Amino acid sequence: MASPCEVLLDGTDEALVRELGALAAGEAWRIEGKYSRYRDDSVIGRIHRCADQEMELDPETAALIDFAAQCHEISEGLFDITSGVLRRAWKFDGSDRLPTPAAVQALLPCVGFQKLTWRSPRLTRPAGMELDLGGIGKEYAVDRVHDLLAARTSLPLLVNFGGDLRADRARPQGAWQIGIERPDTERKAALVLELQRGALATSGDARRFLLKDGVRYGHILDPRTGWPVVGAPRSVTVAASSCTEAGQLSTLAMLQGAGARQFLEAQEVRYWIVD
Amino acid sequence: MQLKRPAHALRNRLIAASCTLLGATTARAGDLTSDASPAADAAPASDAAQTVADTALAYYAENNGRVRAIEPIVNLRQDLGDERALSVKLTFDSLSGATPNGAVPSARAQTFASPSGHSLTAAPQTYTTASGQSSVVSSPIYTIAPGQLPMDPNYHDQRLAASGSYQMPWSSLTRTTYGGDLSYEHDFISVSGNGALAHDFNQKNTTLSLGGNYEFDFVRPIGGAPVAGSDYTLFEKQGSHTKHDANIVLGVTQVMTRRWLSELSLSYDRLNGYLNDPYKILSIVDGGGNVTGYLYERRPDHRARSSVYLENRLALDRAMAGLTLRYMSDDWGIHSETAQLKLRWSNAERDRYLEPQLRWYRQTAASFYTPWLSSAGSSYITAASSDERLGAFHAVTWGLKYAARFPDDQGGDGSELSIRAELYRQTPDHRLPGPGALSGLNLYPGLQALLVQVEWRFGY
Repeated sequence: MASPCEVLLDGTDEALVRELGALAAGEAWRIEGKYSRYRDDSVIGRIHRCADQEMELDPETAALIDFAAQCHEISEGLFDITSGVLRRAWKFDGSDRLPTPAAVQALLPCVGFQKLTWRSPRLTRPAGMELDLGGIGKEYAVDRVHDLLAARTSLPLLVNFGGDLRADRARPQGAWQIGIERPDTERKAALVLELQRGALATSGDARRFLLKDGVRYGHILDPRTGWPVVGAPRSVTVAASSCTEAGQLSTLAMLQGAGARQFLEAQEVRYWIVD
Repeated sequence: MQLKRPAHALRNRLIAASCTLLGATTARAGDLTSDASPAADAAPASDAAQTVADTALAYYAENNGRVRAIEPIVNLRQDLGDERALSVKLTFDSLSGATPNGAVPSARAQTFASPSGHSLTAAPQTYTTASGQSSVVSSPIYTIAPGQLPMDPNYHDQRLAASGSYQMPWSSLTRTTYGGDLSYEHDFISVSGNGALAHDFNQKNTTLSLGGNYEFDFVRPIGGAPVAGSDYTLFEKQGSHTKHDANIVLGVTQVMTRRWLSELSLSYDRLNGYLNDPYKILSIVDGGGNVTGYLYERRPDHRARSSVYLENRLALDRAMAGLTLRYMSDDWGIHSETAQLKLRWSNAERDRYLEPQLRWYRQTAASFYTPWLSSAGSSYITAASSDERLGAFHAVTWGLKYAARFPDDQGGDGSELSIRAELYRQTPDHRLPGPGALSGLNLYPGLQALLVQVEWRFGY
């Protein structure tokens, strides 16, 4: 998941908590392994070896692609799991090396969910296109791990994968205290939120950005242009009942760029923006 | 980008899409681990226990035919959410046996009347109660053999007590607790109210607390309250009295290290009113060791007490240790020290533990404590009592507790069944030998007591 992942369980039975922790870790690794871009044996690896050919996907993957399709439609093309190829032009290492417009332009023909042939569970991927579930995988894993543990125990639990988190119920002594870090000073939390139950997801450019001539280029790219969204806040945190929903709302907000705050106001969700 | 559809429609569609994703894949997750609940998309398991019930039954017995008691207790604690909790406790005590009446053993047989009695003869007597009614009763009397410690064998008492407390947060770092107690015995009624405030700081590593308690008691001795210091054989007993006790406690609890918690508290209380034990007398003994009479005891009508308490709790790998020290001092001349050590050993699964305990206690005598009155000084006393609980003594308690936890299938705290036993041995200090005929008698028998308690705690 490329971030520290933890599960907090408030209980006194050590054996049970260890067992639940192992279950959580197992599920997280399963999802990561299945959808990792870096592994040949992952489902994504299999999809990428199979160009211009119809392939049948397993129910879990089909459900994820269905979700990505709906998000693509809801966002009118802003959210796109095929935009991963743009990473070849963009390296968000904190430097000032922007790609050339030509390099970005060359990749655009391979971007666009509508170019896939998708009729669940059958997918045809044109050669050159890539699928990247990084935008939904982590939040999905949080929800899956949460549901797995919540079905097995009534202990208060909090699943936190690198800032995308979900709590089942508050502890007897009070709500979970969540610190939202400020993007440029990693230690001191900018805000402390109290969460009884529900999910929080954060989108931000805290660690992945380019800085040139005083202009900050966040890693959230507009798939229609191939360039980073302009004027996006440094980080957006959204609260919702599932991490998947919260993650999508925070990503869509960031994709609005300067219009993030207005977008979130219109959704009537609880949100926190760090500019 | 302008979203053409209304905003809420977007959110609703997103919620629907998320639910579809998570609902569709829940059934898949069930296949992965054989231990997962078969109804994989059912709602999460029922809430953790909201109410904890604690029930206990204790049996207490002193040596030498003295007091025996049975005490069932039920304690319910309800978590109301939002850091509020309500507790209710009901206690019932049934005591019987013999209790020392304060007189010393004598070389000759002695006869006493039980508290309800008005004369030392067994013949029926007519007497008039405070309300003006006449009754004819046989006075219950008892005779003590020579050399025996005078004890009233007709002691029996029953007590019913109820208490409640309510805890709520004042702010994110402050909690308040309010409570009340009511205790009823046919000769003693007690009503009290208490309140406390606790504040956390230092990332909840330090807690400061302040509490107060006020108790008002109605003392209604059987047979009437005796005139303090009066001649026992005159049976000048009438009416009832009251007393009250105001108490304040200041405490600080500090997490010293990850494994060590320490608590220090200072307590002060003031008692006023009828502080005598209405059933206790003192023997008047002459130089030859002959008992020439008896007087009802008399204690001051006020008492101020301060104490310092320090508790330390240590968590080791599978063991916990607790060391408690307490020092108390009052204006009756009594000061006492207590030291208690507790160790708890758990097994590897943490579902069984054994807890041995050792407590040592020592107290000095009250300034007006005297095991008997010498006839020379008995004409007028400002205060005198032979109650062994006001004398100088030390006591050792050995205790052992064994508990078994049964976790519930939801991983909550489950239930705990425990049994504990304590052996108490009290030995009087400064045992002044009696004069004359009393010199060969054991005037200070001390006390041994056994307590066995079975407790069952569960949540629902």
